Amino acid sequence: MSQTVAAEPGASAGAPAVRRRSPFAVGLAAAAVALVIVGFVASVDAFPESWNLGLADPIDRTRRWLINNQTSHWLYTVLLNPLTDLADAGIRQLEAILRWFPWYVYPVFCGLGLWRVRGRVAGALGLCGVVLIGMTDLWQQGFATLALMGVAVFLSLLAGIPLGIAAWRNDRFAGVLRPTLDAMQTMPGFVYLIPFVLLFGIGRVPALIATVIFALPPVVRLTDVGLRNVPGPMVEASEMFGATDRQTLRLVRIPAARPAILAGTNQTTMLAMSMVVIAAFIGSGGLGQDVLRAMRDIDVGEASEAGIAIVIMAIILDRFTRGIATLGERGRGPRTNAHADGSLRAADTVAIRWIAAATALVALVGGIVGHNRFPEWLQWHYAPYINDITAWARDNLYDIGNSGIGTGPLSDFITVYMVTPLRELLSSGIPWPAMIGLGVLGGLLARGVTLGLGIGVALFLIGWLGMWELSMDTLAQTLVAVAVTLAIAVPLGIQASHSDRFQKLIDPVLDFLQTIPSFVLLVPVITLFHVGRIPGIIASVVYALPGAVHYTDLGLRRVPAEVHEAATSFGATRWQRLRRVELPLAAPELMVAVNQMIMLVLAMVVIAGLVGGGGLGLETVNALRRSDAVGRGFEAGIAIVLLAGILDRLTRGVADRLRPPAAA
Amino acid sequence: MEPIVTVSGLWKIFGKKVDAARELAAEGADREQIQAETDCLVAVRDVTFDVHAGETFVVMGLSGSGKSTLVRCVSRLIEPTFGHMEVCGTILADASDTALRELRRSKMAMVFQHFGLFPHRRVVDNVAYGLEVQGVARDERHERAREVLTTVGLDGWGDHYPQQLSGGMQQRVGLARALAVEPEVLFFDEPFSALDPLIRRDMQDELVTLQIELQRTIVFITHDFAEALRLADRIAIMRDGAFTQVGTPLEILTQPADDYVRAFTQDAPIAKVLPACSLMRPVGDVALEESWPRTTETATLESALPFLLSEHRPVVVCNADGDPLGLLHQDDVAAVLEQNLR
Ligand SMILES: Nc1ncnc2c1ncn2[C@@H]1O[C@H](COP(=O)(O)OP(=O)(O)OP(=O)(O)O)[C@@H](O)[C@H]1O
Ligand SMILES: [Mg+2]
Repeated sequence: MSQTVAAEPGASAGAPAVRRRSPFAVGLAAAAVALVIVGFVASVDAFPESWNLGLADPIDRTRRWLINNQTSHWLYTVLLNPLTDLADAGIRQLEAILRWFPWYVYPVFCGLGLWRVRGRVAGALGLCGVVLIGMTDLWQQGFATLALMGVAVFLSLLAGIPLGIAAWRNDRFAGVLRPTLDAMQTMPGFVYLIPFVLLFGIGRVPALIATVIFALPPVVRLTDVGLRNVPGPMVEASEMFGATDRQTLRLVRIPAARPAILAGTNQTTMLAMSMVVIAAFIGSGGLGQDVLRAMRDIDVGEASEAGIAIVIMAIILDRFTRGIATLGERGRGPRTNAHADGSLRAADTVAIRWIAAATALVALVGGIVGHNRFPEWLQWHYAPYINDITAWARDNLYDIGNSGIGTGPLSDFITVYMVTPLRELLSSGIPWPAMIGLGVLGGLLARGVTLGLGIGVALFLIGWLGMWELSMDTLAQTLVAVAVTLAIAVPLGIQASHSDRFQKLIDPVLDFLQTIPSFVLLVPVITLFHVGRIPGIIASVVYALPGAVHYTDLGLRRVPAEVHEAATSFGATRWQRLRRVELPLAAPELMVAVNQMIMLVLAMVVIAGLVGGGGLGLETVNALRRSDAVGRGFEAGIAIVLLAGILDRLTRGVADRLRPPAAA
Repeated sequence: MEPIVTVSGLWKIFGKKVDAARELAAEGADREQIQAETDCLVAVRDVTFDVHAGETFVVMGLSGSGKSTLVRCVSRLIEPTFGHMEVCGTILADASDTALRELRRSKMAMVFQHFGLFPHRRVVDNVAYGLEVQGVARDERHERAREVLTTVGLDGWGDHYPQQLSGGMQQRVGLARALAVEPEVLFFDEPFSALDPLIRRDMQDELVTLQIELQRTIVFITHDFAEALRLADRIAIMRDGAFTQVGTPLEILTQPADDYVRAFTQDAPIAKVLPACSLMRPVGDVALEESWPRTTETATLESALPFLLSEHRPVVVCNADGDPLGLLHQDDVAAVLEQNLR
């Protein structure tokens, strides 16, 4: 009783704040409308070229200066070079250790590990997967990738877990850290590479640093959240026994937060994986480099072999880190019988131990004797077959039987009826001042004055950077990809929410798609769609689809059964129920899906610059390829970040708007 | 007898304007008025009591009456706003963090309503937690933990995780965890209210039996009047943060201080819950006769009723060894039951 009384003042103070119309907001709205009108009346179109911040030149000059002074200036000799050397030595050392073991250790231990955490089938598949990497002669590249990954993940955890603990301990620090992490997570991975290339040139160390930073947010965030969610009574109990703060942290809080921390570790590992692959652009070496080289030569076969090796590695790492996270939970679940949750039979555990011991013994001997190269006689390339298939696909799927159905007509359709008109509308149809005015209005409606102003400033900055047209191109591609994704994902999600069987069917597929590092997705897509804007868009759709389906399904499933029954009891048809009850109730969740989708799509569209996607992505790719284009690339990078920020805040604002008022 | 826990003038006021709130309270304003005027919530209002060695002191009150807040203040899990508290001779207000920790390690322990067990530790490690915190070696603390587990009837469950146990068993773990450190004072915050009635009954009986053997000082919180009657040496009735009456079960039943307390006494199935010993009078120099019927101290009043109704003789209440503890007189019982029926 008294609790509701206590909560009410806060709630009622919060609610009107959203709706309150300050004179400032009215003024801003008026200014925005004026901008729109002026824009159309004066019929300006291109953002004036003379209005340019001119950031590219100083950046390029800095870059040149850095290159020239790399061997002499104290910044390098005292600070950066030793750091670089240390990091490089670390990676090299790890690689050397990895290479020291006999080759058969890897398939056997991966197989055993997966058997242990996921069961026999997973174990067998893991074993075959690792062997396949060796067969296609990618053993050495695999080690390079793995070593870079290993060091990056280690450093991310080393920094991330203490940061998470600090954020949990200190609310003020958390208040600063959380928005920073939010911003970090909206930036496409690709953009992270630019500043480090600027500072370090190309190589493994900038790749390492970019990866560490890119992969950091999940583990920080989940450590913080995990520690905060440790139930109060548990902590009280610990304190009541006279535990010191340190003891409570070590014995109670961290173990209780362990599942969250491990989930964070899994996400961090996967982010690091995708980044290490993308970092091939700046010479990280390894499997990513092979994909990149093959893609430049449009050698789909080679690209596929390396790409599949990456996917195998990603899946094994993912299942393994997830398995470790759930392994600790076993036996602790609420009163299940020991085997029902898929945990191992005793015989399996014994078998695993014996095989592991035997392999270790053989490996020890083998390691001394050698055997550390993957045997030649086991080698087998399937690239030629893939190339045959590609050729066939190009000849036959492009326009099946001249019927106007096929990948060619599809991509023409998307280009002619969606991308091109939208791009033209955004870049010249709507004059730029009107665009800014509309952005401000959108921000005002979605959240309020701050967002409105923020969007206005960000849009203007984009123009000032000289990136207006390219940004509108990227925006058009993003919007088209989002629309296509929604058109596919929402029906799938609805179906999945209505049918458990359907959900079970598509779950593994989506799960698999989600594990594929973004860059690798481009490989199959260019097989079917050549180069240009369309493969980027299609790859974005595939990349964003799993999350979108998942959130739609989740949102619809959250609608309480009682509400369903109530709707049905009033005689609503299934369609009426969906439209009138379920979709509105799931709307906030769907908006979160849209938000996630936009972020994923944007990241992919940018990478697609590599395969002719144009827009901001191309500038960034160029910056990473040619040292004289770093300035432009930097500007493009900032534009991407601004664009991502605008879209993120806007969709989140709308999502919050759609949420029904929280119960007091 | 030496008091083990002494509390006087204890206040806990949630909010900012605590002084204003206390003044209003002193003028006799009630919780709602104070909250309306100062936006403060008076959770504990000028509470004073002692608990003696070996005594079970039960605080009974409805939900929101401030019982948890009271027990959390006394164990200093939260800071009281005003007041003096002493546990085992240590004045809590002055105690440094180290002294407080020392006190908690050696002198007190708590059993929680929702158990507060550690899901990531096996039962035996849960029970050994207090000892681990004190730095007791692994083997030794496990041995002790298994001993205590046997005492509470959980022999052989040590290697399970808490979630694998039923609610009643989980609370036994909670109890074992508290007992393992051999505390002088045990705090119970509604330990049985999350259990279903039959199990609750079992746990109460078990606590009574254990208490006869261990003779700890207990502060027990409950919202169940029957539970209070069954366990208490003395009961405090709490309402809106203040104690309305403190007394033995007999006093509460026969002389309820106001209508609020009377309302509780009228609903209680007295004969079923009140132990025979709670109404007994000291033997004094009465010469016991061999023919007088006898009963044990844990037996309920109900079980003595047949003797009391059929013959005009007192019933002798004995302990487990057969030594007489006191006499149960027909008049006392009749007075209590009559009060109950009114
Ligand atoms: N941290 C706090 N801040 C503000 N008010 C609080 C706080 N903790 C408790 N209260 C309020 O103090 C009052 C007493 O709470 P308390 O938890 O002590 O009640 P209780 O008698 O233990 O009730 P229950 O039987 O529900 O456990 C309640 O009105 C509660 O809302
Ligand atoms: Mg309580």
